[in-house]
Amino acid sequence: MKHLKPLNEKAQLLDKAAEEGGVDEVVAMQTVAGCTATTDPGWEVDMFGGVAGLCQPMEADLYGCADPCWWPAQVPDVMVTYPDWTGDAPSAGKDWRKLDAVFPEDDS
Amino acid sequence: MYKVNSVYTNAGVACRAAMFGLLATVAISGCAEKENPVQAADESATPGDFLVVVNRPNTLHLVDLKQRKVANSCQLPGDFGPATVAMSPDNRVAYVLTNRFENIYGVDVDTCEIRFSARQSQGDERVKSIGSIAVSPDGREVYTHQNPTRLLIDRYEVQPTRIAVFDTAGGLDAKPVRTFVAPRQISIMATGADGTLYLGGRDIYAMNVQTGETRIALASQSVGDPLESPRDSLTVWPIGGVNHEMVRMYSAARFKDASQDMETADYVWGFERIDLATGVAEAKVFGPLEVVLFSGMARPSDPNQFYAALTQLKKFDVASQQELQSVDLEHSYYCVNFSTDGSEVYLAGTFNDIAIYDADSLEKLGNIELPGGDMALANTQVFSRAL
Repeated sequence: MKHLKPLNEKAQLLDKAAEEGGVDEVVAMQTVAGCTATTDPGWEVDMFGGVAGLCQPMEADLYGCADPCWWPAQVPDVMVTYPDWTGDAPSAGKDWRKLDAVFPEDDS
Repeated sequence: MYKVNSVYTNAGVACRAAMFGLLATVAISGCAEKENPVQAADESATPGDFLVVVNRPNTLHLVDLKQRKVANSCQLPGDFGPATVAMSPDNRVAYVLTNRFENIYGVDVDTCEIRFSARQSQGDERVKSIGSIAVSPDGREVYTHQNPTRLLIDRYEVQPTRIAVFDTAGGLDAKPVRTFVAPRQISIMATGADGTLYLGGRDIYAMNVQTGETRIALASQSVGDPLESPRDSLTVWPIGGVNHEMVRMYSAARFKDASQDMETADYVWGFERIDLATGVAEAKVFGPLEVVLFSGMARPSDPNQFYAALTQLKKFDVASQQELQSVDLEHSYYCVNFSTDGSEVYLAGTFNDIAIYDADSLEKLGNIELPGGDMALANTQVFSRAL
């Protein structure tokens, strides 16, 4: 926690709790494996807070993120949940119009 | 059961096209190795550099790097991903982790015959492997790192991660012959000349594949250097084959003193490598952290020159930790590799083209377009052999 600065009230509460020993120290995952949240900022900004470090074009990065469930909140994960999402679109750069939004299935 | 392409599919298409094209003379000469046995024998006797890679929908390609063309393409069973490839010692069989990170196929890259296959998921246990596949130095065993989950009727149960050992002579429905509990979060693997299996995760571990005994070969996350932040390492690309090494990059903050002041820290790129011939481990800073880079490796002819890429291709001088050259790429590429003599750089991953750069000047020399779609996370394996 010593390298992170709290920017809002909730973060300040977390910081305070950490100082008081109220929470276990959180260690960032060095290697992410499978469907899980990561500490990477995502496609909005790069690790420096800008956009120059993002993949160019974004379609070049699309399947590299969908296949391993890298950002499951942003891209359907092909690994487990939406295995057919890219089935009709082998090229993200050429076939991106075929990539549709996904929604949770109704189990009822 | 398996749909397998005929041998030299693309060469055959090119030959047929040439019969009707204005460039018949040039194209036919390129196809002659399949139609003139004498010339074919001469060409096959001379070793050359080849590259193996897999792209969507799920196709393995053998690429002739000197001819700048796809020499053979093999359709693999199942779905794509992650398409991590490890080669047999004689570079004739490619072992591919695919079908959404679950199955293993051993494919003869010349004939497309599937000689080995294994479904890692069995019964109510789903198994995923993240880029972690390796072949023993004698070619008799293939290893995967397994992330098992039991899919029960009311819940999922995450199981301990493990190394699975398969006999490459196990046929088309192979089962593990041994398993060993292994560390979690493993994303690449390689085997040393003595048979040691190296696992890249929070640290780089060394496993005895007969006993399962595991030790830390290179401390990364656990290095405990008060002048360095925890290292951040991203890799699913086992690429060090031409250097007989396991290599991955990391980024970190280097502090001025033990106060670990982030405001005055230097941000750096470093590499971690295992010499697969000797087992010697090494971690070294090679340059400043100024842009995002996904994979990198040392030039085969000069270990002091380290190359890395994502949206730029960069060359670093390891001794001085300085960037020597940088070029902007036409699009991002995940995966760096080299010719065996270190004269050319091959960039792959993401889309379906392999970009070729001169390793001295970083001048672009051309592209090899693969039939089919994106390579995404696929790694490349480069080797020299006779056709």
